[in-house]
Parts: sequence; C-alpha cells; structure tokens
Amino acid sequence: MKTIDEERLRAIVGEANIKTDPSDLYIYGSDSSVHHAMPWAVVRPKTTAQVQAVLRYANEALIPVIARGGGSGMCGQTVPVMGGIILDMKGMNKILEINLADVYCRVEPGVVDDDLNLALKPHGMFFPPTPASSRIATIGGEIANNASGVRSVKYGATRDAVLGMKVVLPNGDLVNLGARTRVEASGYQLHKLMVGSEGTLGIVVEATLSFVPIPEFRCMGIANFNTLKDAGDAISSIMASGAIPSMLELVDDVAIKAVNKTMNLGLKEVAAALIFEADGMVREAVDYEINKMKVICQKHNGEDIYASYDPKERDKIFLGRKSLFPALSKYDDNLASTSLADDMAVPYSKMAEMAGKIHEIADKYNIVMTAYGHCGSGCMHTKILMDTKRKDQWESARKAITEVYDYVRSVNGTTSAEHGIGLSKAESFKIEKADSLHLLSLIKKAVDPNNILNPGKLSQAPEDWVTATNLRYSVNS
Amino acid sequence: MKNKTKAFKHLEKWEGTLANCIRCGYCFEHCPLFKYTGWESDAPRAKIITAFGLLSGEMGPSESAAHKLFSCFYCKRCEAACSSGVKLTEVFTDAKKDLIEMGFNGPGTTSTTQMNCARCLICLGACPHEARSHEKGRGIVVDPVKCKGCGICIEVCPAGAAKIQNSFGTNRKDLMERASLFMTTHTSAKAIVFACNWSYYPDLQASALPDAETRDKSYEILVNMCGGRLERQLLMAPFIHNAWGVMVAVCPDEKCEHNGNLRAKERVEDLRNTLKSIRIDPERLQLVQIPAGDKTKFQAEIDTFVDRLNVLGPIR
Ligand SMILES: Cc1cc2nc3c(=O)[nH]c(=O)nc-3n(C[C@H](O)[C@H](O)[C@H](O)COP(=O)(O)OP(=O)(O)OC[C@H]3O[C@@H](n4cnc5c(N)ncnc54)[C@H](O)[C@@H]3O)c2cc1C
Ligand code: SF4
Ligand code: SF4
Repeated sequence: MKTIDEERLRAIVGEANIKTDPSDLYIYGSDSSVHHAMPWAVVRPKTTAQVQAVLRYANEALIPVIARGGGSGMCGQTVPVMGGIILDMKGMNKILEINLADVYCRVEPGVVDDDLNLALKPHGMFFPPTPASSRIATIGGEIANNASGVRSVKYGATRDAVLGMKVVLPNGDLVNLGARTRVEASGYQLHKLMVGSEGTLGIVVEATLSFVPIPEFRCMGIANFNTLKDAGDAISSIMASGAIPSMLELVDDVAIKAVNKTMNLGLKEVAAALIFEADGMVREAVDYEINKMKVICQKHNGEDIYASYDPKERDKIFLGRKSLFPALSKYDDNLASTSLADDMAVPYSKMAEMAGKIHEIADKYNIVMTAYGHCGSGCMHTKILMDTKRKDQWESARKAITEVYDYVRSVNGTTSAEHGIGLSKAESFKIEKADSLHLLSLIKKAVDPNNILNPGKLSQAPEDWVTATNLRYSVNS
Repeated sequence: MKNKTKAFKHLEKWEGTLANCIRCGYCFEHCPLFKYTGWESDAPRAKIITAFGLLSGEMGPSESAAHKLFSCFYCKRCEAACSSGVKLTEVFTDAKKDLIEMGFNGPGTTSTTQMNCARCLICLGACPHEARSHEKGRGIVVDPVKCKGCGICIEVCPAGAAKIQNSFGTNRKDLMERASLFMTTHTSAKAIVFACNWSYYPDLQASALPDAETRDKSYEILVNMCGGRLERQLLMAPFIHNAWGVMVAVCPDEKCEHNGNLRAKERVEDLRNTLKSIRIDPERLQLVQIPAGDKTKFQAEIDTFVDRLNVLGPIR
C-alpha cells in the first residue's frame, strides 16, 4: 500500500469530506457484487474543481482513483482491486437545469435516477433508461455502465439518452464532450466512449440528458406457455412483427416456483410466462400493439392470455416478476442469491434455447439457476443460488458460468447486456472482444497513461474472478 | 478466506442472513442517517457489511465499528425497503449485545443522561421501551440495547439532562434552524411540515432540485424522528418566522412503535387551543396521519393544507 497524502486531500475537499477510518474503508470496499477489497481513503468531492485537484494529485503520486455512485454495480466495478482513493460522487447531487424548451436536463453525476424522474414528473416527462436499481443508482454510474431496464426495448439504454457531458480526465483537465442538441456529427462521439467505460477513462462531473413525455396510456398483458420453446418463439415473432412493446419480460418455471414458494402468490406453475406492455398517447394505438402481441402469443400456444389498462390489474400481472428478486433471496436460508453471469444478451431467436441451456447447466452442476429477463431487448438474467460457505459450490459456479458464456458467444450473444464487466465477467469479455482488446488498451493508454483510473478492471481484470479479490462471503476452506 | 470469530455469540445466528443480503443497497435511500450525512458508511447496508466484517473476523471490533451499529433510530424504513427480507434492526440489536459484552458502548443515537439530572424520573415513565431505570448511586441508567432512539425522553426532560449525542439533524435546535432558514430565504414560504421518518415523504431523497424549481416553494418538509418528540417551542417556532401554518405528519393509530403519534395528537390539540386563545385560527396547525409508504396521500394532504392557508392568508 502506498502512503496517501491525507493532508493534501483534506486541503482539497475539507475535513468533512474524507474518511480514512478502517471501518469506513471496509464498507466502501464492497458493492453489490461478490467481491471485496480495501481502499486507502474515501473522498467526497462537491465541485468539479475538487475532482480536478484530486485527480492531479493522484496522477502525480500514481494512486488509483475509483469513482463510485450508489455502489449498486453487480460485477465489482467499484471494488478497489489495487487499493487507492474511492471518489464518492454522491456529494455532487444537484439537478442543474430542466430545460423544457430544448428538451434536455443537466445534472451532476451523483443525482439518483428516481430523484431525476420525480423532478421531471411534474413536467409530464421521464428519463427512460431506468434500471431496476433506480432508487439508488446514480446518473454517473448509469452512464459508466450503460445501464438499461425493462422499458429499454422501446426507449433504449442510457447511451441513447446522453447528449453530452463534462468529464475530468486523469491529468485533471476538464473536457466538454457531445452537445446539447438532439443530433451531432461533429467528429468522434467521445461522450459515447465514456458510456460503458466503467470509470476507467474519466470522471463524469456533469451530464446533459434527453427525456421523453410520460405516455397517457399503458396496457400490460400476460401469457402462459407450456414449453420454453413456445415462449421463446413468441418473443422472437413479436420483435420480428414490428410490434413496439414498451416491455417484454420472460420468467421461467424456476422463477415462478421460487415466487410461489416464498410469497405464496399461487401463480400457475407453467414452463414460462411472458409479460408484455405497450404505451402511448392514443388508446387505439396502444390497443393495436397489445392485440398484435396477444395474437402472436396465441399462435405460439400461449394460454390464459389477458391484458389490462387498470393500474391495479397491471400491478397484479407484474407482481410475479417484481417479487422475483426477494423470492430468490428468500428461496432457502442456506442458499444465497449471487450476482454472477447475470445479464447476457442473445439474439431473439436464441432466447428459449438460452433459457433451456441455463437449466441444463444448473442441473449438471447441482446448483439452482433461474432464467428471466428483458427479452424484448435480448437480455437474459439469471441468478445463481448456492451455499456460499462451500468451496465446492464456488468451483461448480465457476464451471457453470464458463459454460453459460461459451454458449452465449457461440450464438453471437454478448457477455453483458446491462450490468457491465467489472471483475466478475472479465474472462468471457476478454474472449468475446479478443480482436479489439488491443485497440481498447491503446485508448486507455492514450487517455490514462499512468493507469490511475479504476485500474484492474475490464481488459485489465484478472482472468479468474473467484480469486481476483476476497469474496464477500465466508467460505470454508 | 475467512475464519469466523466466536466472540459474537448473539450475532452468530445471523450468519446466513448476512450472506443472503444481496447488498443491493435498496435499504439506504430513506435512512435518516444516510440522508443527513450523505455517507454510505452511515447507511443500513453499511451496518450489515460491518456486522459481516465483525462476525467473519475481517474487521476487528473497534470504537468506530461499534459506533456504526449503535447509530440507528429503529425507524425500520430499511426493513420495509429491503429486497431480501433482512431484519436489519434485529441484526443490529444482536451486534450491540455482543459489542457491549466486549466493552464497547454507544453513544450512537441512543440517549445518555448528563450531570444536571434532577432525578425527577419523568423520563422513566415516558420511555416507551423501558430503556431507562434508576440505579442507586448511578442515577438514571440507559440500556443501550433497549433504547430505540425515539428521543421522547429528551423532550419530556424538564432539566435538559436527557440527550442524544448524535441526533443526525433531528434535534430541536437543528430543526428550528432549518425551519427558520427556509422561512427566511424563500419569499414564497408559507408552511413547515414536520414528518416522522415513517411518512415516506414525497420529496427527492438524495438529490437536489435546480434553484429555479425551488425558488417558489411554499412548504418545506422537515424530518424529525418521532411525532412524540415534537414539543411546543419547536411547533411554534415557524410562526415566529411568519409561517402561515404548520403541519405535523404522524403514523396512523396503533402504528407507531413508540406511541409517539398519541403524544403528538395531544400536543397539537393543546396548541390549537393556545392559538385560539390568541385569536389565531387553529386550522393553521394541522395533524395528519399517513400510513407508511403512502406518498400520494401525504402529498394530497400537504396540497389541501396549502390551499387552505391560501384562503386564510398570512397571520396579521
Ligand atoms: C438490485 C439491483 C438491480 C439492478 N438492476 C439493473 C437493471 O435493471 N439494469 C441495469 O442496467 N443495471 C442494474 N443493476 C446494476 C447497477 O445498479 C447499474 O449498473 C447502475 O447503473 C450502477 O449505478 P451506481 O450509481 O450504483 O454505480 P456504481 O456501482 O457506484 O458504479 C458503477 C461504475 O460506474 C463508475 N462511475 C460511477 N460514477 C461515475 C462518474 N461520475 N464518472 C465516471 N464513472 C463513474 C464506477 O467507477 C463504476 O465503474 C442493478 C443492481 C442491483 C443491485
Ligand atoms: S432503522 Fe431507520 S435509522 Fe436504523 S438503519 Fe434502518 S433506516 Fe436507518
Ligand atoms: S436492502 Fe436488504 S438485501 Fe439490500 S443491501 Fe439492504 S439489507 Fe441487504
């Protein structure tokens, strides 16, 4: 561990905005992933000038700097594998401007997604990427991870809503990227390069985001299927038909059983269920989309098909999907729900096969895995439920994950659809992007020659995620 | 990998829970401690991580680790928000028991008794959790495990002897200052709304609005810990700064852990009579009961109150 010039950091951010006590450091060493590592200091800048000063110091002293928003990253993006300074960006949490005439807003990076939406609501607008973690995820974290969510099938991911941003580079320079206009063709789209960069290229200190009107009408439907293949074919046909769902979610039988087991919801235990939604300003247009999806589900042997505009009914339809998360955590006291191999994307036509593959691999390695996700955007989630105390279960998980990713790549899918790479997914990421890794490292080197920004992540992450850091669980040896 | 330490014999039973917490962080946005300091290490997830660190032996017991587990108002907002059904406050209580046995103690958010105690014993009767007792030779003693930090003792103590060392912005002085700041910096200011932390107030949680959006704000929501703590001086303070009205939001009957809502009801009724006696319309002081999580009802109640104040106009 290098010595940190605490006095210098104190002089930059003030006594009230630095933590160096071991218990604080221990806490800031975790996020929502399986990893843990100790930082050397936590610093909370309140202004762009402070971010610049911290980076100038760190670049001089060659100290790693890891930006942190809500710490809800699921693959260890904020875990300081090589120690260093955690830059807690939640101190910069102002919504700077809501410009209705020009349809953009400017925010500091620590603004929480739900808060931004609360502020936009009185104007009849919303910021659509909205991950499930929107109650704590910050705009900075969403940009750095290119977060997306249930409605991304219609409205796109964070990348599609970012018009421009201000970024502090590792040497402390401040740059303005992108523009405040809807379109821009003025050279390299460098603001988009920052999207998904996981804090390795620069610190976002301000973002200009677009927003869209809140639809007047929302209608949600559900269809049950007796085989995964039928459900998968329905997804693919819906997307190929030109229908515009605002949500298209799949839940498999393991998920349905988990929800029934822990919440007693009494859902019909079929092989798979599809939840679909359409929204819009004109009811007839929404009807048109919903009917189109209903007919396709019917054609693929969907049963119990039903849709409603009523908010209470919609909540009821979505309850199974919404309850899935807690249901998996409560599934069995001895099994923890871990975020591993949890968000791959595959082409629509492979959705059903992917879910089947997950089941097959889980059986083979005697672990519980469920398949669900935002199938409308090609994203398949899974959770691995395992006894985290048992070393052999980690070994099984390791093998299972490798097989899952081998399959994903074999069908031209991608390692991560929304949660990013961080540490946990580096192995598959490196294989998938083998031919562009050199380009990636050239870019990194050009922007961050001293490798101070979130080192040891993405292409630099250790191949073996199990031993990359301490695991945040107690594992018996 | 880690070795479990055996010293945490109460905490030990939560080992599975500490692994099952998915560390999603859903518990932290509404925690009054986090909202006040803005440090993640004051948030509920941080306490769970601390408990795990202590139990696994990754983190040695220390003053600052103990401080984290002792600091909690037991409002249980975190439990209501938890994605995984973790009984956070029960984990904290067991961790506290172990830490006390190891010689660590508060202060956390729990109340402590100071030198100027008059031994009137009023606080003993007022404490809804039987956390206070009188011991010969020691005076008033607080059981830090039983104390849930509601702070009712502080407001009943006539000698100002009962104190919360770390109030996270919820003590009378802080609240009075914040009420005064809002009233004096906003020309549009009309009302102060005191809400207990259960009210799921409809404001932004961890971010700030653009100045242009807050300039014309007519009310400010201030979070105290429990309606039972709202005393006369605090409730009247906004009127001194020309507030048109004051609103108090508490939990529905039978729903308050500390019976603070009943105390608040009595206090508000009493003050309404006082207002009447000095010819101020008692409508200017309102109490509403909001079921936990019902932001919509809360917003509607505030809007109705502000509409009513607009009819009444300023106090002349
Ligand atoms: C329960 C749960 C559900 C989730 N659901 C979804 C989902 O539906 N969709 C989805 O996409 N994700 C989801 N996630 C993952 C995660 O919440 C998102 O990726 C989110 O965008 C992370 O935001 P954060 O503020 O917590 O970032 P953090 O975890 O704090 O940081 C993530 C990355 O962003 C970088 N970073 C943060 N701030 C800045 C900045 N100002 N400048 C530069 N880099 C920065 C960090 O260095 C890190 O690499 C979920 C997570 C959880 C725990
Ligand atoms: S009970 Fe309340 S004060 Fe305590 S950790 Fe939970 S939210 Fe915070
Ligand atoms: S909400 Fe529950 S599961 Fe999530 S971090 Fe908090 S205690 Fe853990």
